[in-house]
Amino acid sequence: MPGPDMTRLRARAMAVLREPFLHFVLLGLLIFAFNAWRGGVGDPADRRIVVSQAEVQRLIGQWMQTWRRPPTPGEVDALIRDHVKEEVYYREALHLGLDRNDEVVRRRMRAKMEFLAVSQLEQQTPTDATLQAWLDSHPAQYAQGARYSLDQVYVTARQGDAAADARAAAILRRLRGGTDWHRAGDPLDAPGHVEAADSAGLTATFGPDFATAVAGLPTGRWAGPVRSGLGLHLVRLRQVMPGHPPKLAEVRQTVENDWRAATLARREADGYQALLDAYDVRIEKPK
Amino acid sequence: MTGLSRSALLASAAVLALALGGCSRTGEKAAAIHAPSLADTAVAAVPENAYPDQVYWGDTHLHTMNSTDAIMFGSRLTPEDALRFARGEKVRSTTGVEAQLERPLDFLLVSDHSEGIGTGREVFNGNSAFMADATLKRWHDLMLGSASDQETAARELIGAFTHQKLPAPLMNLGNLVRITSSTWEQQLATVERYNTPGKFTAFIGYEYTSTPKGNNMHRIVIFRDGADKVGKIQPFSSISSPNPEKLWAFLSNYEQTTGGKVLAIPHNGDLSNGLMFALTDFEGAPITGDYARRRARWEPLTEVTQIKGDSESHPYLSPDDEFADFGKAGFDQGNLDLSTRKTKDMLAGDYAREALKRGLMLQQKLGTNPFKFGMIGATDSHTALSSAGEKGYMGDDAGVEPGPARASHVQTNAESGLARTGWQFLSGGYTAVWATANTRGAIWDGMMRKEVYGTTGTRLKLRLFGGWDFGAKDLKGNFVQAGYSRGVPMGGDLPATKRKGPPTLMVNVLKDPLGANLDRVQIVKGWVDKAGQTHEHVYNVAWSDPDKRRLDAKGKLPAVGDTVDLAHATYANTIGAAQLSTVWKDPDFDPSVRAFYYVRALEIPTPRWPVYDAVRYGAKLPADARLKDQQRGYSSPIWYDPKA
Repeated sequence: MPGPDMTRLRARAMAVLREPFLHFVLLGLLIFAFNAWRGGVGDPADRRIVVSQAEVQRLIGQWMQTWRRPPTPGEVDALIRDHVKEEVYYREALHLGLDRNDEVVRRRMRAKMEFLAVSQLEQQTPTDATLQAWLDSHPAQYAQGARYSLDQVYVTARQGDAAADARAAAILRRLRGGTDWHRAGDPLDAPGHVEAADSAGLTATFGPDFATAVAGLPTGRWAGPVRSGLGLHLVRLRQVMPGHPPKLAEVRQTVENDWRAATLARREADGYQALLDAYDVRIEKPK
Repeated sequence: MTGLSRSALLASAAVLALALGGCSRTGEKAAAIHAPSLADTAVAAVPENAYPDQVYWGDTHLHTMNSTDAIMFGSRLTPEDALRFARGEKVRSTTGVEAQLERPLDFLLVSDHSEGIGTGREVFNGNSAFMADATLKRWHDLMLGSASDQETAARELIGAFTHQKLPAPLMNLGNLVRITSSTWEQQLATVERYNTPGKFTAFIGYEYTSTPKGNNMHRIVIFRDGADKVGKIQPFSSISSPNPEKLWAFLSNYEQTTGGKVLAIPHNGDLSNGLMFALTDFEGAPITGDYARRRARWEPLTEVTQIKGDSESHPYLSPDDEFADFGKAGFDQGNLDLSTRKTKDMLAGDYAREALKRGLMLQQKLGTNPFKFGMIGATDSHTALSSAGEKGYMGDDAGVEPGPARASHVQTNAESGLARTGWQFLSGGYTAVWATANTRGAIWDGMMRKEVYGTTGTRLKLRLFGGWDFGAKDLKGNFVQAGYSRGVPMGGDLPATKRKGPPTLMVNVLKDPLGANLDRVQIVKGWVDKAGQTHEHVYNVAWSDPDKRRLDAKGKLPAVGDTVDLAHATYANTIGAAQLSTVWKDPDFDPSVRAFYYVRALEIPTPRWPVYDAVRYGAKLPADARLKDQQRGYSSPIWYDPKA
């Protein structure tokens, strides 16, 4: 039969159990037990520090990586002392919750998590099947675009120069009438005769407006004027060679580069998303 | 070697001219637009054109987070990001700005500082071996702090580095080698993955960062070779020796042991306080013939324009040149870290035009011209984004990426009190190389031939040929063939002749299809008289609206006009010309004296990058900010030697 003392004790225990502080401590213990079980950060309440042989080996290895020679026994002792000091401070800092509101620590931990997400991928060699799948799912990126063979006659024209348009129209009439195109128009340090150039090649020489306009021209007759960043052009599109999807072997290195860059970015994003999903995030913006 | 390849080129040009017979239109070429190869890695050999009639655009000077200063300024972009951006991909900058070039580049050299390459990342990661050092620990903490903390860290690093006060762990090469060699290995592997012969050339190289007392003696090192050869060496750094002659010895040894090829490119003479083109060597002794030969051999190019100022010439050295003030404000007051004020007597050792003149004078004395270099432009951006040009300027480093504050951002040297303001930085330049194909070999050979030119970010197309019998009729025909078959291109030496008349220079400049019209084309001549005195003259040789704009008695030309709308950051191509060309005869030619000639082409005035910031971000610009400029291109010179 419980005596009055026991009853008092139980009541006190119950009161203590209702204490938020105790809840906090218990919860903390649970979390750290869970972490310890997962092989994580360990329990800051744990007062035992074991520096195992493996740990000492790791410290020596790290030291040698930087200094390229084995440490002296004195240096090993110093490494261990420093390691213990770091562990003690680390546990105490966690105990005090310093990791939660220190900007530097937060950024450092974030950087480390991001690094973990992507570091393995840098070493990985993708299979042909992986790359072929990438190529198949991004056809536009690797399509060998159409190629154009054309002749162009240049007419110098400043912005807003209406007379130049009239001049170009007159030259166009003469070209359609059979005038030798080699002798028509104004000089330009760019080819009059273009053979099998793709859009990038046309853009590099004449600018993007010209490349875009050429794609819409009829073949086999003089047309225009087409306005480029250089002036006006009368263009005879001779032939359009349609683009085709490339074979993997033709673009393998580029595909691998792109696959790697995109996969790195995605893996980091996925890694973050998986972590984020485990949180209930509420944002309270100031009104 | 150079002479051999040049005559080979001339021979093939002559054959081509024969095969084609008479071509009637200016610039028309058999090869037409060079069709890029269909495949990339599958192609073993990229077809080369008969002569270097294609211009390829690129940047030979760019930093990523592997450069210690770049990562300390906050950059988190890698060599891979840099290569993807240069070849035209969309890349997110360190501060989260989506960036993409309007047009891709044809080539890129990621040129990270060789001094402790990759160690910045270890400082950032808190490598325990570094954290024992109080200064490195401090930098580590600052790197994890605010943008201004990061800038503090970077400035402290640069100050410590330039004044030989780096923390001991960063000076110990033997200990650093594990970090630097693994970074270098990774960097080589990445560059190899992105080199795509025929489409995009990724060069291997680095920056040698000799900076005695804050005076800039930097060199870019660029290899012709792949990782199979370059992988055999570790980059030479100024921690081993700040004396560039030791770098040349290293390069020479590289070529001998690997069979590879390499050259070096000095930059930012404007920040050298008289040292870059001094009449003395690094130790202060007068330049000897041997020094001159080695310098001419290893340094065939000079980077004359980039983000940290323009080093073509200076108003003090060229008082009659009304356009010499471009890119001088802020940069002509001191050295790299502004630790020492620049005095007027230093200017002659800082600028390229004066160096070209000094070179003639030294040749007269020593038999070899040490400063016989071609001229290029580059960015030297520390953001990993090669973004020359006013509209898309991504900033000098990650701390000054696009935003409302960067134009008024002041950087002060606390000891000297000297300061630079954001708006004074240029948007950076590009290099144009005339080459037979877009490959490492063809482009590097073009650099070695000096068949290159530099611009301040615009992609104007500039051709220059020197000969003895060019005439106006050549411009009506295929002047490129005429140029190669009867003369030499930019970077060359006028061939010996028995003719008595002056040399003829054939020049053609075509505007950038996405840029501004052209104001004028000038020829800059430098020469040395028999007394050893150097001289220069700037000739206006072709300009827009020649019927309305006439030269005065002194050869000066009325300004082209100005269409800039500052409120909208726009301009109109209603003035200027799309193309300017001429055949020019030197009216003051003296066949008995050495001379050089190069072209400077000027665009019409356009808004500078701070004006775009004002429109985009509402940036408040300092009252003294320069708002417009005439962007430009500089050709490599053509030299005349009476004894040739």
